[in-house]
Order: sequence, then structure tokens, then C-alpha cells
Amino acid sequence: MSLPSDKGPSNKGPSGKGDATGLSAADYDAFCRFLRERTGLSFTEAKRYFVDRRVTERMAAVGVEHVRQYLNLLRFQASGEELQLLVNRMTVNETYFFREMYQLDCLVNAALDEVVSGRQPGSRVRIWSAGCATGEEPYSIAITLLERWSRVDDFEIELYASDIDSHVLARAREGIYEQRSLQAMPRDLVAKYFTRLDDQSWQIMEELRDSIDFSLVNIADPQQMANFRGIDVIFCRNLLIYFDDLGRREAASMFYDALSPNGFICLGHSESMSRMSSLFVPRRFPDAILYQKPQS
Amino acid sequence: MALVKARKIDRAKPGPVAEGGDPLALLEDANPACRRRAAHALGERPDAVPALSARLAREEDPSVRESLLTALVRTGTAAAAAALVPHLGSEDVGLRNGVIESLQQMPAAVVMPEVAPLLTAADSDLRIFAAQLVGKLPHPDRLALLAGVIDRDPHVNVCLSAVEALMDGGDPAALPVVERLGGRFPDDPFVAFSVDAARRLFSGA
Repeated sequence: MSLPSDKGPSNKGPSGKGDATGLSAADYDAFCRFLRERTGLSFTEAKRYFVDRRVTERMAAVGVEHVRQYLNLLRFQASGEELQLLVNRMTVNETYFFREMYQLDCLVNAALDEVVSGRQPGSRVRIWSAGCATGEEPYSIAITLLERWSRVDDFEIELYASDIDSHVLARAREGIYEQRSLQAMPRDLVAKYFTRLDDQSWQIMEELRDSIDFSLVNIADPQQMANFRGIDVIFCRNLLIYFDDLGRREAASMFYDALSPNGFICLGHSESMSRMSSLFVPRRFPDAILYQKPQS
Repeated sequence: MALVKARKIDRAKPGPVAEGGDPLALLEDANPACRRRAAHALGERPDAVPALSARLAREEDPSVRESLLTALVRTGTAAAAAALVPHLGSEDVGLRNGVIESLQQMPAAVVMPEVAPLLTAADSDLRIFAAQLVGKLPHPDRLALLAGVIDRDPHVNVCLSAVEALMDGGDPAALPVVERLGGRFPDDPFVAFSVDAARRLFSGA
């Protein structure tokens, strides 16, 4: 999923006359100081639009009208749940190759072996990267499978990747990345799977680009989601944090229909399916927790 | 290479709902997937609340039950909230928890009038569920309603549920209310512990 641009310098709210949240300078300062103390996240005046937008969103979600009330909630809520939700919204993590590698470890060390248990060699395995943004995730999955899944040659593996943003999909199909995206990838793998274009950019090999089906999909649209069936593993990491509770619940329901029985869904490290839906069973593997669709 | 070009997944064979079947009738279909789709299709139809609620009462498939609950949340009407509230008394823990979660996700303005009366229900378990729910609703009456529980409910566990709900609300204005509970149950160690916890929480200690 692409993230909203934070470059806008405007502090104007919808009316164009004031701050989106009505944060006074003192409130904004207090808010940023609190966040820095509790989370280490630091926001300057230049990020005001970014902060305003997310605070407005969360205040509306919890039904709080005044910034001070919201600060009290963050400060004093016993469970700390709201602070976690806000932090999730505040942390813009641009993606990169092999991000949250422990989940890819889990895929090749345990989950896929379970998925193919009882299947005939040559049968299909379907993996879907939902919210693939510029493609780092599905390509990371592909490389991890090729490099580390011992049964990779026994099955025909189909990789699907989708996003709601056509611009990032175009970049994903193109497969050109800068050094920052490749920072977590061993050099030998970069050499093996990428072609250096210039000092700043590398392009992933054509064979890999062609092996992934990239498509424009809104996961909130039941019609579009009905196109995905029989999926064995869904990666949906750090996407549902942009949805409200009901949206997450409905998306979980549609992922349920898209998955094969016993199929897995993999969420981001700060996400928990048990907070979204009761449809899936958490499975604790040595490398990660995945969520499984029950057999029946 | 073991990766094969993903075939465009054939557009899933349209289900009966997509083909124009009556989702109200399909709520009773033998196939759970069909019932799930029917429930999903009815989520935008306030007139379907009675049917969704009736199906919920006898639905045994957890995945369909989840779809029915989600559809009622999507409807978001007072009627939908009213249809969910009776299930709070269910002996089925899964259904009860699903109903509590669902009511939390509906507009507080429609849920509160349905749930607030349960704070004085005869069944103390129901009062506990109601206190938990009220605590989660972003509604201006939340503090006053929970304060009423703390000041008047005869059952200490119901009062402690209200305390917990207030503490999770994160409003320091709740502290004097919580402290009053110590006066009502001076010999109860759990009350003393809760009051101390609230003091520590709201003082930031």
C-alpha cells in the first residue's frame, strides 16, 4: 500500500482556515513531547500536517473532541491500546527487501511444508502479497522460495501481488530499486537476481518480474476479492492498519473466502488477527505467528 | 524455475448471490459459503436486520456467524444494536464475545440506549458485560453511567468491572469516582488494590 504524501507544507484543515485538529502551537508541542517521551518518535513543525491528519483520524475513531482529552487517553489508558494504534499510524515504514525476515523464514521453514502436505508433486501453490506497494515483498518471497525452500522444484508456485495504487504497481512491474531498498539483502543475492543499471539503481531479473502477477485490487471490494480463491498463503503486512475496525473485520472475512482450508495469513509485526476477527486460528511456529483458516 | 507465471485466477464462478439470487432466502442455504455471501450482501440493508438476527440465533458455523455479526455492524442501526443485545445473555461464550465486539464497533449513539438499561439488569453477569461495553463506547454519558454503577451496584464484581472500564477510558476525572468505591467496600482487598492502581495510573506514578 502506498502511503499518503507527507510533503505537503500546508497546515490548513478542510476549511482552509485552520489546523486540521485545531491543535494550538502549545498543544502540538505538548503532543510531540509526549510522543517523544513515550515512544522515541520525534516530529518537528515540518511534520505538522502528517501528525494533524493522523491525530484527527484517531480522535474521530475514539469519539474524542479535544486534543487534551485525547492526550489524557494516551497518557492514562491502562491498556495502552490507543497509544499503540496511534503509533502504528505514525510510523511510516517504507518497505524494503527481506523486511520482517522472520516471517519469510517461517514460510520456508514450516508453513509451506504444512500447506503441501498430502499434495501431489506438480500441483499448484498459490501465494498472494496483498498491498505489495512497489514490489519488494513479492520479490522477497520469490527469492526466499528459490533460495531456501527445499521443495521448491516439486510444485508449481504462483505468486500474486496486488495494490490499490496503480502508480506503485507500475514501479513494482518495472522492478527498479535503489540501494536503500536492498540494504537488508546479501550481496550475493543482489548479484544473482539484479542487474545494476547505474550507481544508484538495480533492476530485478526479468524472469522474476514475469513470474509474478501484479494486479490492481481494492481489498475492500467484494467483487474484486471474489477473483482470489484457493490461495494458500496471504501476506497482508502493515496494510490493515489503515482500515477502521469494521473495515479490518470485513477484509478478514474476504481473506477467509480467498484462502484454501488450512491456508495461512501473515500480518505485520504490530498487527493481531484476534483483534480483527475470530475467523482464524493463531499458529505459533518457531519463527513467527501466522493465522490459519480452519479446515472446516 | 519452480515459479510459474500466475494464471489469472479464473473469475470465481459467480455465486448465487452474484447471480441475482435472493440473499434473504440464501441465508438459509445449506452451504456455509453461500450463507456468508448472503450475509455480506445484506450488510447494507436495514430491512434485513430481523432475518440476520434470526439466523444468528441458530447459526452454528463460526465463519457464517462472524459474517452475520459483521453485517449487523455494517447496518449500524438502532434496530441492529437492539437485535444484538439479547445475545449478551447467551450461554455460548463465542457468540457472546462476538456480540460484545460487534456492539463496540457500532456507533455509540445507537448502542448506548440499548446497553445502558442492562447496567441495572437482574443478572449480575449481564451487568458486568454492560459495564465493559459502556466503558468502550465513546459517549458523553459514559462516566456518569459507570459512576452510577460504582455508587449503587450491590455486587462488588460489577463495580470492579466499572472501575476497570473507567481506568481504560484514561480520564483522570474518573479517579474520585473510583475512590468512592473504597468507602463502599472498605474490607475488600481487591477494591483497595483497584483504587490504589487507579491512583497510580492517574497520577502517572
